[in-house]
Amino acid sequence: MDAFSKLPEAINELVAEFSSDPVFGTLDAGLTQYSLWLLIAAVVLLIIVGVFVKKQTLVPKGVFVNGVEYVVEYVENDVAKGVVGTDWRRHFPFLATIFFFILVNNFIGLIPGMKPGTGAIGCTAALALVTFIYFIYFGCKKHGVLGYLKSLAPAGVAFPMNVFVWVIEVFSLLLRPITLAIRLFCNMFAGHIVMGSFSLMATIFAQPLLEHFTAMNAVGALPSIAWLLILLIIYVVEFIVAFVQAYVFTVLAAVYIQIAEADAH
Amino acid sequence: MKFTHRIAGVAATTACAALCAPVSAFAEEAGGASILIPKMAEFVPALIAFLIIWVVLAKVAWPQILAMMDERSKRIEESLDEAERTKKQAIADRKASDDMLTDARRQAADIVLAARQDGEAERQRIVAAAHKEAEAIIAKAHRTVEDERQALYADAAASIADLSVSVASKIVEKTLDEDGEQRRLIERYIKEAGSLNASN
Repeated sequence: MDAFSKLPEAINELVAEFSSDPVFGTLDAGLTQYSLWLLIAAVVLLIIVGVFVKKQTLVPKGVFVNGVEYVVEYVENDVAKGVVGTDWRRHFPFLATIFFFILVNNFIGLIPGMKPGTGAIGCTAALALVTFIYFIYFGCKKHGVLGYLKSLAPAGVAFPMNVFVWVIEVFSLLLRPITLAIRLFCNMFAGHIVMGSFSLMATIFAQPLLEHFTAMNAVGALPSIAWLLILLIIYVVEFIVAFVQAYVFTVLAAVYIQIAEADAH
Repeated sequence: MKFTHRIAGVAATTACAALCAPVSAFAEEAGGASILIPKMAEFVPALIAFLIIWVVLAKVAWPQILAMMDERSKRIEESLDEAERTKKQAIADRKASDDMLTDARRQAADIVLAARQDGEAERQRIVAAAHKEAEAIIAKAHRTVEDERQALYADAAASIADLSVSVASKIVEKTLDEDGEQRRLIERYIKEAGSLNASN
């Protein structure tokens, strides 16, 4: 099949398109297409929250207010109260902001022609770094710097062993922002690559039929229907992934905050 | 203010960490793996955008949103308490009104019973009075009839005596003395005959 022979090259081109390109400036100082969409998502988030604050009443009315409030309550109950515990109110602004920031970015990226800000490692690394510094800050604030460093090793372990465990825990601690950043980036990046691949396949298989309508080309275009159906399913799954990844990032941030502030490990 | 200081601290630390990260050096030479190396053109705008949004929302939006939700929870809780209190009050009021209704029904039944008893007594009194009056009227009528009968007898006796004297005078062609012995005899006879007739 001619279409299959074109596929590797087309996939390579697709992956290249997903690489960061500066819209203006360079990759060191400027804005890439991901940064641009991230800034647009940031503005959208501000507008959404602004409109919500203005429309929020004691008795919520309308799909928009109820929908946003449902998500806010979800973050409040399932993430802030459920994971952080009694001190949830202090950390709610950070957790809610990071959740909505990621969520809006993820959803913006699902609109055809747009890209998710979270589809670039630079953006997810920034969020992960802020999260890392945030929970370290609160850990140090609660226990003191030395106290926090000591608290990394579990209590009750004998002397030579506790040093070994402490070193492992420090590595684990340092890996947290990296895993946070890479998990979110890879999920969004890979999801878009998969969606792009299936849409490419649907196009490549249907292209001969669109150019010359023959029975042979029509038979050759039949797999396009399957690719389109799979694309639709993946698109729906990506909506779920967009929400789940925002949730996972926020829950992990809440868990790290809770661990950092916990009295004993 | 405290929150702003905290955010400023986190932002400063984040910026230092970002500047110290040797990311761009790897970006050009790592080939396919370069997608895992953060680009400053993405890292810095993302960092700044997130920090700004965090500060803005933490200052302006989230406290207000949480306050509204807390107020709603409080109102709902108060409304539920109020509803519970109202329900208890309603139950108590209903019990009181039921008691009052039962009492009123009992009183009404007592009043009806008393009225019936009074009515019966009055009826019996009226019937007794009517009986007494009727008996008096009947007795009086009897007496009047007796008197008239007596008067009739007396008149009849006198007439019979006169007639007898007249008939006897004509028979014996001798005028009997009307106020004499014969007349008294006749009258006595008629009286005896009348008393015999009356006793029959």
